[in-house]
Amino acid sequence: MPYKNNFTAQTQLKLSPFFERTSKLNESQEWRRWAGYLAATSYELTHENEYFAIRTKAGLLDITPLKKYIVEGPESEKLLNQLVTRNIAICKVGQVMYTPWCDEDGKVIDDGTIQRLSKDKFRITSAEPNLEWIQSNAIGMDVNVKDDSFSTAALALQGPNSRAILNSISTNNLDKLRFFWMMETTFGNIPVSISRTGYTGDLGYEIWINPNDALKVWDLLMDKGKSFGITPTGLHALDIARIEAGLILLDVDYISSRHALIESRKSSPYELGLGWAVKMNKNDFIGKSSLQKELNHASNWSFVGVEIEWLEFEKHYREVGLAPGLPQTAWRTSTPLYYKNEQIGYATSGTWSPLLKRYIALAHLKSTYAQKGSKLMFELKVEHFRKLTKATVVKTPFYNPERKRSCPK
Amino acid sequence: MKTYDVIVIGAGINGLVTASILGKKGKRVLILESRDKIGGIASSMEFTPGFTCNVVHDTIKWIDPRLMKILDLDTNGLQLVEPEILRVNLGDNSEHITFYRDIDKTINSIAKYSKKDSKRWEDFISYIKKLSQFLEKLYELPPPVLPNLGIKEVLGMRSLLSPIRKHGSQGVVDLLRVAPMMMPELADEWFENELLRSCISTAGIHHLSFGPYAAGTGYNLLHQHVHSNGLFHNIKFVKGGIEQFATVLKEVAERFNVEIQTSAKVISINTDQNVCNGVTLESGKKITAKQIVSALDPNNTFFNLVGPSNLTPDFRTQINNIRYRGSTARVHFALNKLPVVKGVNNEHLKTVFSISPSIEYLERASDAAKYGQIPDNPYIEFVIPSLLESNFAPKDKHVLSATIQYAPYHLRDTEWSDSIKDQLKNNIVDTLEKVIPNIRSIIKHTYILSPLDLENEFGITEGNLNHGEMTLDQFMFMRPTISSSQYRTPINNLFICGPGTHPGGGLHGTNGYNAAMEILK
Amino acid sequence: MSKINKYDAIIIGGGHNGLTAAAYLGRSGKKVLVLERRHVLGGAAVTEEVYPGFKFSVCSYVVSLMKSNVMRELMLPKFGLELLPLESTMTPLENDYLIRTADSDQTYREIARHSKKDAENYMRFGPAMGQIGMAVRPILETIAPNPIRPSLSDLSATKKLLDHVKSLTSKQFEYLTKLMTMSSADFLDEWFEYEPLKATMSASGIIGTFMGPRSPGSAYVMLHHYMGDIDGAYRAWGFQRGGTGGVSMAIARSAEHFGVDIMTEMSVQKVIVKNGRAIGVALDNGDEYNSSIVISALDPKLTFLNMIDESELPPDFVSAIKNFRIRGSSGKVNLALDALPDFSCLPGDGRHLRGAISISPSYDHLEKAYDDAKYGNFSEAPFMDIILPSVLDPDMAPPGKHVMSCFVQYAPYHINGGWNDQKREDFGDAVINTISRYAPNIKDIILHRQVLTPADLESTFGLTEGNIFHGELTLQQLFSLRPAVKWADYTTPIKNYFQCGSGTHPGGGITGSPGEMAAKKILGSW
Repeated sequence: MPYKNNFTAQTQLKLSPFFERTSKLNESQEWRRWAGYLAATSYELTHENEYFAIRTKAGLLDITPLKKYIVEGPESEKLLNQLVTRNIAICKVGQVMYTPWCDEDGKVIDDGTIQRLSKDKFRITSAEPNLEWIQSNAIGMDVNVKDDSFSTAALALQGPNSRAILNSISTNNLDKLRFFWMMETTFGNIPVSISRTGYTGDLGYEIWINPNDALKVWDLLMDKGKSFGITPTGLHALDIARIEAGLILLDVDYISSRHALIESRKSSPYELGLGWAVKMNKNDFIGKSSLQKELNHASNWSFVGVEIEWLEFEKHYREVGLAPGLPQTAWRTSTPLYYKNEQIGYATSGTWSPLLKRYIALAHLKSTYAQKGSKLMFELKVEHFRKLTKATVVKTPFYNPERKRSCPK
Repeated sequence: MKTYDVIVIGAGINGLVTASILGKKGKRVLILESRDKIGGIASSMEFTPGFTCNVVHDTIKWIDPRLMKILDLDTNGLQLVEPEILRVNLGDNSEHITFYRDIDKTINSIAKYSKKDSKRWEDFISYIKKLSQFLEKLYELPPPVLPNLGIKEVLGMRSLLSPIRKHGSQGVVDLLRVAPMMMPELADEWFENELLRSCISTAGIHHLSFGPYAAGTGYNLLHQHVHSNGLFHNIKFVKGGIEQFATVLKEVAERFNVEIQTSAKVISINTDQNVCNGVTLESGKKITAKQIVSALDPNNTFFNLVGPSNLTPDFRTQINNIRYRGSTARVHFALNKLPVVKGVNNEHLKTVFSISPSIEYLERASDAAKYGQIPDNPYIEFVIPSLLESNFAPKDKHVLSATIQYAPYHLRDTEWSDSIKDQLKNNIVDTLEKVIPNIRSIIKHTYILSPLDLENEFGITEGNLNHGEMTLDQFMFMRPTISSSQYRTPINNLFICGPGTHPGGGLHGTNGYNAAMEILK
Repeated sequence: MSKINKYDAIIIGGGHNGLTAAAYLGRSGKKVLVLERRHVLGGAAVTEEVYPGFKFSVCSYVVSLMKSNVMRELMLPKFGLELLPLESTMTPLENDYLIRTADSDQTYREIARHSKKDAENYMRFGPAMGQIGMAVRPILETIAPNPIRPSLSDLSATKKLLDHVKSLTSKQFEYLTKLMTMSSADFLDEWFEYEPLKATMSASGIIGTFMGPRSPGSAYVMLHHYMGDIDGAYRAWGFQRGGTGGVSMAIARSAEHFGVDIMTEMSVQKVIVKNGRAIGVALDNGDEYNSSIVISALDPKLTFLNMIDESELPPDFVSAIKNFRIRGSSGKVNLALDALPDFSCLPGDGRHLRGAISISPSYDHLEKAYDDAKYGNFSEAPFMDIILPSVLDPDMAPPGKHVMSCFVQYAPYHINGGWNDQKREDFGDAVINTISRYAPNIKDIILHRQVLTPADLESTFGLTEGNIFHGELTLQQLFSLRPAVKWADYTTPIKNYFQCGSGTHPGGGITGSPGEMAAKKILGSW
């Protein structure tokens, strides 16, 4: 349906080096802001095809707006170990670690990945700008902290066919690349780093390149990926996938303690379900003593997956003569959760899972109500009227395919 | 190996005081001093053969009376000379006002310039005395933990009630009015004569980087007059030179079995998981102790010795934000003969002179510091110590020591060098020439210390003699930071006792005394 | 002529605080008369058509601090309050510019162009200051207690404040202490490194004061400017449609709605005091009006030293008022323009002209401007806060033409040799020359120029020394000490005589707060 409705407007927002391609592909002209960039919300008029690309083929996402920092120097391991809650000393060259980092009260500032590029060189990715925080903590250490946000462009290729697509382009085969590891390779003569990471909970990769090579890499992927069903994918599809994967999002599921105006808005890693990423047996790190105290006294809040029970949900709609009103896209409005008449938490993001056919959400709950199987009430608006409907605490990730971690035999 | 209860880093006045008191209470104390002698900035030295100077301070404004008592300094050999003339403030054309220990004489001196002002003098000094008394009580206590003050702390501050009982809550209100004032405001409320107004203002800018037009100079003025017993510009000389104060303290300390090692530079305060357990010397030697007390400034203590990576982010930010901005230089002249101060009787030279014809003169001198320059017309205070200590100079020869404001540590687009020091020296001599016409011809030798020299010589950050500016935002519970103002630090077993703590700088020993009391708690 | 002979209250001065107090009293059923010396209402918040077709907010030019409850309670939107947002602040530089806009992404990007660290910290700074503003609010909204002889209500207010202070976190308390005592430059140095950013932000610490950004105490004034609250959004600046006088007119109409009588060109000569009680006022024209109480919206010097015989007042109070510092340091230049100014750094028309334009490229620029004034001269290259009201509201000027409002510091009231016509023009020239460094076409497009020196502000608006805040906002002139200890609760040593101007707690700016709080205090003890 070529309607040829071309238009342009000047924008004050930043444009990614892939924009020359993505802007031509974005039929819906739906854009969203992401860290000051113009980022595609969905390329097609609806996002469904893009979501299913992630789960059945391969979705290609421009993730350049991620903040990236290079930490380099003899004390870079020491700095990072002090900065984040996980033990960076055991992160091998070529390995990637996901970790939160905290302020000295043990409240999460941000979360992201740390790539060990060499013994003394790391790349940190994060949602928000963290340069000042990293640099101020590097005072007196023999390290150099550099903003890599504009010197590295990044794509995510996510979905069951992503490996096959990359193998068809990459000089080196990716079959042996394990989950949360990375490798250096080339696409023809273009050097690229590929990490087996992502934000979809599926088999997938992230590709780190020089921005000057951006268009060439995009074209290569789109060209070679065509027969594998590669699909430019926007943030609407990604949001559904990441909720299914049980992955948290800054400013949606939690607020950075650096920006939270009041104490109650801050969360510790334990309160975000990231207790596994806090390594108490390593040396001093920022927030350790506060987290130790929390560990001794148990956290007040927990972060859990919630499933809204279908039958009652459906019933509410039937009662007013409607078919069940499912959310079209993932939502991000805080929604109260009750136990009997008492509000005991709130869901921060939720979605209908098109693949699982379940209505799921991520939620903060008071710890006493957070054990798996707990029955709660979820607040729902049906034709302008508030209802409470049954929901259950369930295990996350909601969706966790074996291919996410496995390597071909 | 010997074990110590306490290691004190730095054998300046406060380090010696803390060590002596702890020693007296039975602690095994070791003092480690990086220089080859004790005393810190309470230092006298031969700066050119035959000529000795008090390197930084010629006088003491006040000494904590509790210190005199607990260490029995009087009987242990500390001799303080209380001069008849406290200060001569020099203006243009031989004009000068003389401040005497005898108030009536001061009033007469003022009356020459303004009858009206002379009549207000007694009221003024009793007003200043009243306000200083509040500070005296405040200074004897560790600052409260604010904002969450508990009942216990409030009860601990009972002693503050005595000046309130004496002066009423009006006294507190007056203190709250005067402390944030700038000098011209205070002067406007009292006096008309500019020479007098400017002389009062000099007390507000003492060792500050700010000029008299800066709010908060009122507080600095009051700080100079704690325990001054109603004497404006009160001073004391130490018999034998300023270093004698440290020497007496050293002898007292040793009597209490305090061990003092000089030329023992600490290069690290060792911590493990936020617990302090000892120090490492430049020699590589490690010494452990149950408690470590640093008499150094916060920058040296926390950044250079503990290390920024061992501080929590908030505390590190707080320490990093402490302002030092040393703006004082010292110059010592070896003179071939006794200088003649225009209009001042030769018998009246055993005192402090200040050159300050007007408040604007002081403010203009401070403008230079604002832009990172040295002033054409600096503010100068000088003393002729050889008149007090005959062995400071050969017979009939003399030493003139001057304190110079403003000489900013941070120069714009350049750093302190010999040529800049020369330039400053010329500006100083030009200024002195107006009051000592023959100065140029009698200078035999000049020894000048920039703030950078003071930093290098005495290890004080940015050459700030008070270990941090004496401003209201670095006062009491904010000194050195809101999280470490009770002489304790966020690092367990590490204490601080230098002028960077409450109540700030000056050779009064209150910091050391208060710190010792906290450590003994 | 007055409609009735005896009023419950007479208010001297039809500025926005006087009108606010009048409206509140009227709202409670009191019969109130407002007497304004000039032919227009509004005091310093006034719009005048100085040249045909060109309307100037002659003196006060932006609204940022107006309390939202005053707007609501006096129904000001109904009576014509329309605040248009000022979207941005631009600092033109020699070959560059710094702009901060309402959009946080854009602001981040613009600041990051100069310093990434600053861009990150800027995102934290606003909310942090907002939190401090919140912490200070309860203090500002408390009637300042008398610390010498506290009444029961003073004690309970003090207790409440202490409890409030105790509830602050250590960090809030630390910032608060710093803001109360530091210079704005020192405070900002702890956060930022890019000089034009710091200088421009520090400028809100010097507006209306006789201080430079490096003067201790200026941080508090900066905080004072952060407490602005339009629609609950801290530090949102607004421009009143039709000019600042519209704010006063809205309050006046509200007051009239509540039955207040307002008379202009009625100059009060004295407050009539009998047996230590105020019983009315005497006008310059010989008329006298009686009332149960008299409220002065004038500054403390006029309120006590002009309106009252010194002999009626206790001597220590007189000396306290004499010692109250009111130092004029600012001037105002209003321009009628044939076209828009063209800034070399961002040529042409554009959104940057919708906001404030700050001539504050560096601390040194501001400090040197201050130095000039310190020694009795107007600044050769002054600091300026410029807005183009006609860009926001085309009705301010004939079609295609513009008006430009330049708030200028420093112009000391006590200028060497005194102010005269020549000096006024020289001052105007210094302003135009400084603007032309950044907008070279300015000289070619000026149709008319109105220059107001502090002496003019004094003679026109009755502001002592031309000080826009009715007294310096220094630590020793705040809260229980504003304007003098024991008399900071809007009462005075004269019975039935009250004060409600900016010289009372919580101070200057178009806040309505002193007027509101004075009225509430008066009504509380009626």
